[in-house]
Amino acid sequence: MSNEGRTPDLTRDRGLQTVRESTYKYALAGCAVLSVLTTVGIIGVLFVDAAEFFASPAVTFGEFFTSTRFSPNLEPVSFGIFPLLLGTLLVTFGAALVALPIGLLTAIYLSEYASQRTRSVLKPMLEVLAGVPTVVYGYFALVYITPALNVVIGGVNGALGTQFPTLGLFNGLSASIVVGIMIIPMVSSISEDAMSSVPDSLRQAGYGLGATKFNVSLRIVVPAAISGIASSFILAISRAIGETMAVVLAAGSRPPDIPPTQSAFGLLPYVAPGDLLALYSDSAATMTVAMINIAVSDLSGGSLAYQSLFAIGLTLFVITLAMNVISDAIANRYREEYE
Amino acid sequence: MATRSESGFGEVSRLRGIVFKYLTFGASLVGILALGVLLAYVFWDALGLESAGTAWYLTYTVTLLAPLLGFLAYARDKPEVTAGAIELVGFTLAGGTLSFAAIIVLIVIAGPGVWVTYFLTVVAPVIGLFLYGQYEREATWVGLAMLGTLVVGPIVGTLGLGAISTVAALLGAPGVYFLSLVVPGAGLAAFLAADRFDASRRVALGVAVGLLVLAIVGVPVVDTVPIVARSVWFAVLVMLGLPVGFAVTNTARQPARRAAFALPAIAIGGFLVGEFVVGAIGATQPSPWLDWQFLTSPTSSLPADAGLYPAVIGSVFLIILVSIFTFVFGVGTAVYLEEYAPSSGLLGTVTRLINVNISNLAGVPSVVYGLLGLGIFVNINIQFGPVVYAGIGAGTVLTAAMTLSLLILPIVVISAQEAVRSVPDSLRQASYGMGATRWQTIRNVVLPRSLPGILTGTILALGRAIGETAPLIMIGAVATKYNPPSGLFDTLTAMPLQIYTWAFLPSEEFRYGVVAAGVVTLLIVLLSMNSVAILVRNKYQQETY
Amino acid sequence: MTTEDMATETEADDDTDSLVTSDPGKGGLSENDDRGTVMAADTIVESRDLDVFYGETQALQNIDLAIPENQVTAMIGPSGCGKSTFLRCINRMNDLIDICRVDGELTFNGKNVYDEDVDPVALRRRIGMVFQHPNPFPKSIYDNVAYGLRTQDKTENMDAVIEESLKKAALWDEVKDQLDKSALNLSGGQQQRLCIARAIAVDPEVILMDEPASALDPIATSKIEDLIEELAEEYTVVIVTHNMQQAARISDKTAVFLTGGELVEFDDTDKIFENPESQRVEDYITGKFG
Repeated sequence: MSNEGRTPDLTRDRGLQTVRESTYKYALAGCAVLSVLTTVGIIGVLFVDAAEFFASPAVTFGEFFTSTRFSPNLEPVSFGIFPLLLGTLLVTFGAALVALPIGLLTAIYLSEYASQRTRSVLKPMLEVLAGVPTVVYGYFALVYITPALNVVIGGVNGALGTQFPTLGLFNGLSASIVVGIMIIPMVSSISEDAMSSVPDSLRQAGYGLGATKFNVSLRIVVPAAISGIASSFILAISRAIGETMAVVLAAGSRPPDIPPTQSAFGLLPYVAPGDLLALYSDSAATMTVAMINIAVSDLSGGSLAYQSLFAIGLTLFVITLAMNVISDAIANRYREEYE
Repeated sequence: MATRSESGFGEVSRLRGIVFKYLTFGASLVGILALGVLLAYVFWDALGLESAGTAWYLTYTVTLLAPLLGFLAYARDKPEVTAGAIELVGFTLAGGTLSFAAIIVLIVIAGPGVWVTYFLTVVAPVIGLFLYGQYEREATWVGLAMLGTLVVGPIVGTLGLGAISTVAALLGAPGVYFLSLVVPGAGLAAFLAADRFDASRRVALGVAVGLLVLAIVGVPVVDTVPIVARSVWFAVLVMLGLPVGFAVTNTARQPARRAAFALPAIAIGGFLVGEFVVGAIGATQPSPWLDWQFLTSPTSSLPADAGLYPAVIGSVFLIILVSIFTFVFGVGTAVYLEEYAPSSGLLGTVTRLINVNISNLAGVPSVVYGLLGLGIFVNINIQFGPVVYAGIGAGTVLTAAMTLSLLILPIVVISAQEAVRSVPDSLRQASYGMGATRWQTIRNVVLPRSLPGILTGTILALGRAIGETAPLIMIGAVATKYNPPSGLFDTLTAMPLQIYTWAFLPSEEFRYGVVAAGVVTLLIVLLSMNSVAILVRNKYQQETY
Repeated sequence: MTTEDMATETEADDDTDSLVTSDPGKGGLSENDDRGTVMAADTIVESRDLDVFYGETQALQNIDLAIPENQVTAMIGPSGCGKSTFLRCINRMNDLIDICRVDGELTFNGKNVYDEDVDPVALRRRIGMVFQHPNPFPKSIYDNVAYGLRTQDKTENMDAVIEESLKKAALWDEVKDQLDKSALNLSGGQQQRLCIARAIAVDPEVILMDEPASALDPIATSKIEDLIEELAEEYTVVIVTHNMQQAARISDKTAVFLTGGELVEFDDTDKIFENPESQRVEDYITGKFG
């Protein structure tokens, strides 16, 4: 009959419900803003204090990047970052040599050969590798690995009559090994994800053409997943660059001595392999280690050494950020390759 | 076109493939084996097993190791027994962790006065409101009220701290903990009995009363043991007793699972028998560096006296603060980014940028976060009009907690985002289809479903934070401290920091003994945290299917 | 030797008379064949009593099928009745599925491919496969075709062989200037022809095709169909298709599989489509059920 008064009231009961919805929405948005603030904070702090460092009359850009001596407190004071870069390079290169092949092979095994049961056992165990605190790894290097390596070197020298240098208490080799072990899970986990995303139809095509599993894995799956694999490599290296405590404990606080270079073919600087190897047997402080040392000795602010902390930190931040961005770009590229 | 052949189709050599398969398998094991060897070494050193005689080894192999292995073999193909055993172990671990944390935070750090103040102004009202909200589903104001209490309560509590503490002193510390821990605990036990085990009201009431009686009866017993104070007894009874009691009841009720009780029986019984035999035959015992003395003494320059106590307290304090901060802000950010933030248009670009920003933050080295803490929380002096902000102190608990929280916040956000993303959209659609608002959908559908994943991710991230040293050094945490922190603005030391300090001491005994004990302690704490995380993930993964 | 072969062939021919399992008697070889195929074609692949199980479910029952050489044999039927499963048994691609179990005999050139001493990888080098969705590797066009050659160590004159294969696959003219470009830039139809080129580059005896044109548009489909007819002159083609008209257009013989994994009738294509023996086949062809 009459529909008057029967029209449903579709307007919400505003009042309390609106208040509640808005409160939650803005509270949560506020949380998200915090992450932006963090980045702003990092960049701000680094740039401001690094600028103060470079503004000081005692320091120039040129000297920072080319001086071959880093000594913030001992006379003659010099703030050359080059030895620290060399130390970082040594440890990172060594760690990459350990982690990248092992990580990639592990990823191939997990993705192509392992049964479901094996995977479910191995993957968590690999995650444990990543979960051990870095200071523990440094301790392992200092206390177990260096002596063990020295025993091995002594044995090899005795048996083969070679002249491999014995490792000092703090040395770059143990640091490289231990950082390498630490980043294996990063390489293996991300590479395995990339390889598992390769569509099975590609493998089927390979098998249909009479290829063995070895061939399919190495010539079809790995090349197809190469972007993800490359991205994992870069991320792992970036992590190794930023690694601090393991290197402090294992490689000590003295930056490596820059080896003498000779010119090959008149133009290219060339370091004798023997000298390079010798670098690994001695202390190899990295950028991160130098930062720790400065922090431990002087944190009151104001002094040049304190400010150099931020300059080094800024360099480190820029390097790792660039690598992470590159790694992301490479990884995103592979999403389109199958479509 | 090929010719016919009656013979086989030929053979393709698989040699390379087989070699490669074993090569890759070996590669997967390299890291694990290396770590295993290193861990074995450090445990060996920490527990001083070197000095133990063969008799000691033999005894324990027979009384403990062999029966355990036997149980494992027995339980291999009985999933019910395995599930029961895992539940027993898991709940005991979780309960142990909880009681440990409760003792440290509520008793050692906070003390009865502080605890009861905040209990009355924050904890009790919030729990009361929550329970009310469970009964009166119509009262939708409860959520807002809880939020409000969380903000206002601490302020009221701080203001009234003095007054309430005086009153609390009259009750005495054990009285305070009895009222604030045991009584609510008894209520919780009764609730669980009625809810989970379908006990009648009388039985539930009986359980509650039983708990209260047990607490009181235990007091004279506990008084005979010097290290265990009455307050500690109450805390342990509730925090450890409830989870263990729950697990035990659950296992006992299902006949198929009852065999799981063999595991704790073997563990405890085997240990006791072993001790008895070793004492009887006078076998040389190991001389461990990791012993009760180590865990309860402060550091010292003499290796034999050095201990980890202040560092343990400091670490626990830190972790609790960090977990609160990162859970709230991490989950909040994740929920906002996944549920509220627009994905198209200008704001959509902003959302994408925030996501990229967070993933970049996750890759920043921890030293840089230390620098951030140094620059924002320590060496800073800015004026906002009349207010001067001069930082929150070098090496204080608050500075360390804030810095570590910022460090692991991106990781927590990313794993929370993944957990929220994994909730199927069809569930959200169903909720909206019934006329629910966005917050109602999040609170009733999305969050409950994604909570296990969020918890797992957060616990794993906390495990990372507990082992971080570099940021602590950068914010000026002192290398040697003899007392545990007494408040938010007191300086602290933490386990990894203590380990680092010790490792540089030249004495061999420090390096091979004390540090090993410290490392093992840290690893055990980490192991329990990770186990709890994995247990949570496994338990709830089964339930959602 | 020759007599023996003849004897084997005759036996095989006799067997084809009893190929039709549910309807006895007639069927078999026809005397009129538009495509001019000889009455007694050599059988290159034959299955006897083949049963295939996926776990507990039986996918194929008692399949007796003799596929003649150098002809196009089509397998039609509603979805889920085992056509693809049978196809994948021929080159033992079903080995890649854990729960798949095969009973019975399937011979290729007289040799049972499921014998203990048969190496499936070697088998697959004699039998090529083209899949439903084109699956070129994310490599260049040249490298796609070269993949099989490199894998099987047939790298002499690779350029010439690749050119030849692309020509046979009717793709050469379209891609000859962009051999080093990524294969993923090609259209769907081109990609499928590339997959065909890839398969024939290694000179198989049999080409198995699992619904090769079902993911393509009509123009690309007709190009593929023309291609198939040409390929049959050199190779044996076995094609699974959903599209009955396609089977009627391009195949010499047709096998009809119906629900439950049953081979209901196998005969010359004309016979199947104009005057099938089995009522069920007639119902299927006239569209009484899908």
